[in-house]
Amino acid sequence: MNPVENLIIEAKELSKSVFNAHTKLHILSGINLKIQSGESLAIIGESGSGKSTLLGLLAGLDTPTTGHIDIKGQNITLLNEDKRSVIRNELIGFVFQSFQLLPNLTALENVMLPLELRGDDDAEAIATSFLERVGLQDRLKHTPQKLSGGEQQRVALARAFVTRPAILFADEPTGNLDSRTGKQIIDLLFTLNQEQHTTLILVTHDKALATRCQRTIILREGQLV
Amino acid sequence: MTRSSLALKLLWREGRSGELTILLVALIIAISSSTAVNLFTDRLQQTFTYQAAEFLAGDLAISSSESLPTVWASKAKKHHLKQAETVEFSTMLVENEQLLLVGIKAVSPLYPLRGQLKNTQTNYTDEKISKTPPQRGNVWVDARILSALKLSIGDSITIGIKKLTITSIITYEPDKRGDMFSLSPRVLMSTLDLAATRVIQAGSYVHYFTQFIGDESDLTAFKSWGKKQLSPSQRIMDIYQDRPELSSALKNTQYFLNLSSIIVILISGIAIAMATHRYTERHFNTSAILRCLGYTQSQILSLYGYQFLYLGLLASVIGCGLGWLGQQQLFHLLRSLFPAKVASPHLFAMMSGFLIGFVILATFALPPLLRLKKVSALRVLRRELEPMPTSAWLIYGAAFFLMSFFLWHYTQNYLTALLLLSGATVVILLLGTTLYLAMLKIKARLGKLPLSLRFGANALLRNPKTTVVQILAFSLTLVSILLSMTLSQDLIKDWQEQLPEKNPNHFALNLFPDQLKKFNQTLATEKISPQPLFPIVRGRLIKVNGDNVHQQVTKDTQGQRAVQRDLSLTYALTLPDNNSISAGDWWQNSTPEKGQVSIEQKLAKSLKINLSDELTFSIGSQEFKATVSSIRKVKWETMKPNFYMIFSPATLEDYPKTYLTSFYLPKENQTSLQTLIKQYPAMMVFKVDTILAQFKTLLLQVTKAINALFYFALLAGFCVLFAAISSTLDQRFYEGVLMRTLGAKRSLLRYSYLLEFSLLGFVSGLLAIIIAESLIFGLYYFILQLDYHFHWQLWLISPTVGMFTVMMAGCLGVRKVIKAPPIKLLQLTENR
Repeated sequence: MNPVENLIIEAKELSKSVFNAHTKLHILSGINLKIQSGESLAIIGESGSGKSTLLGLLAGLDTPTTGHIDIKGQNITLLNEDKRSVIRNELIGFVFQSFQLLPNLTALENVMLPLELRGDDDAEAIATSFLERVGLQDRLKHTPQKLSGGEQQRVALARAFVTRPAILFADEPTGNLDSRTGKQIIDLLFTLNQEQHTTLILVTHDKALATRCQRTIILREGQLV
Repeated sequence: MTRSSLALKLLWREGRSGELTILLVALIIAISSSTAVNLFTDRLQQTFTYQAAEFLAGDLAISSSESLPTVWASKAKKHHLKQAETVEFSTMLVENEQLLLVGIKAVSPLYPLRGQLKNTQTNYTDEKISKTPPQRGNVWVDARILSALKLSIGDSITIGIKKLTITSIITYEPDKRGDMFSLSPRVLMSTLDLAATRVIQAGSYVHYFTQFIGDESDLTAFKSWGKKQLSPSQRIMDIYQDRPELSSALKNTQYFLNLSSIIVILISGIAIAMATHRYTERHFNTSAILRCLGYTQSQILSLYGYQFLYLGLLASVIGCGLGWLGQQQLFHLLRSLFPAKVASPHLFAMMSGFLIGFVILATFALPPLLRLKKVSALRVLRRELEPMPTSAWLIYGAAFFLMSFFLWHYTQNYLTALLLLSGATVVILLLGTTLYLAMLKIKARLGKLPLSLRFGANALLRNPKTTVVQILAFSLTLVSILLSMTLSQDLIKDWQEQLPEKNPNHFALNLFPDQLKKFNQTLATEKISPQPLFPIVRGRLIKVNGDNVHQQVTKDTQGQRAVQRDLSLTYALTLPDNNSISAGDWWQNSTPEKGQVSIEQKLAKSLKINLSDELTFSIGSQEFKATVSSIRKVKWETMKPNFYMIFSPATLEDYPKTYLTSFYLPKENQTSLQTLIKQYPAMMVFKVDTILAQFKTLLLQVTKAINALFYFALLAGFCVLFAAISSTLDQRFYEGVLMRTLGAKRSLLRYSYLLEFSLLGFVSGLLAIIIAESLIFGLYYFILQLDYHFHWQLWLISPTVGMFTVMMAGCLGVRKVIKAPPIKLLQLTENR
């Protein structure tokens, strides 16, 4: 297969700077990155190295100061925020360190949410099957505060995979879990990833976890090393 | 750094970040409205207390229908009291072929004993104070007289048969009242000229007032002696009784202003409590860190206590300043009710704003703030550890106690305060519970709605208690505005409906039976529409069921005043317009039995007279009896001839009588009046349209004053909304960026907020009109005796206005959430 045809994300000369009081702070600079479809990539680096900023840019949550990002050949840096949100809804799934579930919605409603946003009529049935897939068939009507940390992250995994996204961004997915539960979640994440052939971009500072990905890149002081 | 200076520094930084804006604004609103009302009330009371003497033109005044017997003067001399006398009556002036009904006031040389007279030679800007009244041979006149009769200063006018020279325009007299004599343009003359006018004859309709001044002990002794001397036609005057139109208008204004001020305090209090709640929650982490560093619970409390103390001081200074301006505005709106000089407020009334500010803070802000001292130091490790909420009993109990105190303080009546408070509490509890239950029901059925609708509704249903409080606070604000608006409009409309364009504006008294036919012919010739003629027999009520009526009356009541003087008794076959029977029956057949009387409702109540009671009347030396066959409700405000007692014709027909009628005469048609007066010299004519115009102005001014206070209520209502939005802003922010991360468009968030706030406003508006319409019905039916009509326009306006104002204010409050970029979610993750 032609590697260019298989390219799902391409970042060119990305940089991100912010103004802090009177000084300009360079968070990222000179980032060039190509990610193939179905690839699993770990981004590692120390705290403050710019991992989360890079994830935010690649996922279209933010725009770079310079450079551009293509997702499936489309330059998302030229799109406005609403158009980028459509891309996110259609192509991208997220798993966060703090689970990021809506506290007033039940587990089922949380998983249904991305499906409803794209206007899926079978949202409830699909969400239910995904919650069964992550082992939470008995927790459908529970709100997040009634679930353990591990269960909440399972709900988050179900929500991330329910739209069968082309790309999954995971930001420190085990950061708030004990090591045993963390391992279970990671196993589940990789299993679902393989089942759906999703491109996985995993941000972590855990080198052992990074080794489970096909490729690892290291960020230091905002630059790839 | 001391705790107080650390507190000041923290307060300054939080103030700059906008964290305390809502709290400060709500506090300022509460303080300024209550200060305005307190200052207004205080100045009003002082004006009344200290200037009562000026209102009466003496320390003590006696009114009588004839000159006081000389024994009063000699007794006054014994007590070293100074004495002055005024004689008031109406008469018609005819000059330069122009006619004018004027109020003459003849004053003795020492008048006024208290207060001062003011006059001018040119216009009001050149007003001068005068210590002495007009000299013998001179008069001072109202400017209206000069223009109406085409006269100038230096010209003479003829009163009776005496020519007097106009030397000044009178601009102020201290004891001017709102009765018929005083509302007509004034002529001030000397009593020394009175006899020469020959206007006053035996039986003339004249009021005598005698004023006294002296030492307090002498006055007290003289007053207690005088009370025993009083004949039925003599009365010791009292400011509240003798300026009834003023005192009742001002008392009502004071009452409504006070109640409105309580509403403002309550609504602002809710906003303060909500804002403090959010402030407290946002300071759990800071408190935990301070606890970790060794702060004790009481040190934490004092750190935040200092901040609130400074905040209270700042709000009090601003609030008192605004309150001062507010009360000036109230006095301006009501200026025509007051004497030229109004007392300055007591220092205490000025300082009360500070006191109120701190009391409101302690009541509404302290209970939620107390949570901060309970924050565990362990929270630095486990963020989910939250302190126990403050007891609901403490929060609601404190508010209930404060409201009870204010209600008692303002109404000065335990029973009214208790009734109002318990009534309001029951209504609020009932409405609150109903809304709460309804929301729980709806929450269970939201599943099938489209996403944006579900999100909007969910935001309201997420925390039903807060939503209920918001809806009630808004409704209360809207109810206040709706009530004030409707009442003033309906009262004026009702008045106008009762007073059609050609409502009789002249009363004619003293027509004799043999003149009636000719009088009607004259009216026809002059193209004046005839109105019913009422026979008048002057008589006095002396006994009720055989007992002397004086033993039955309560002092200083309408009843007492009615039995101390001759009443105008009339008889009629049909029930006059503006009268309705409230008990018993009006006589049905065309020749009703002799000895029946129909009595006016309020007088019957005051004299404790019931149906079938036997009343004895005296006419001259004759006595006769009549049985009460009906009790009537009378619309006095129609300014048409109305009577306390209407008899069956056979009862009074044989007594000597005169007739009373009314008629409409356009302002420009003064020649007809001249003709009538020339043809019927004994007839007395009163103009009533000036009095009507004054009443209407009074009503408008009072309503304006009350409306002014509702602007405060409206601002307080918005504070509640912003406080409520602000308390959920963190949550909304989080949800907003999460939804956007998952692919929601901005428009989805916008629609859901639009829906949430429109729904909140719509329900508040709907609830407001339900409450307001019920209150209006109750007020009209039971208290004001107005014809109730359904205000269908308000049922459209209230929910619509509620919906749009809350929607706009709400969307303004959450605009940052809609604009927030989704990347904030990752930053929140790092900060959480």
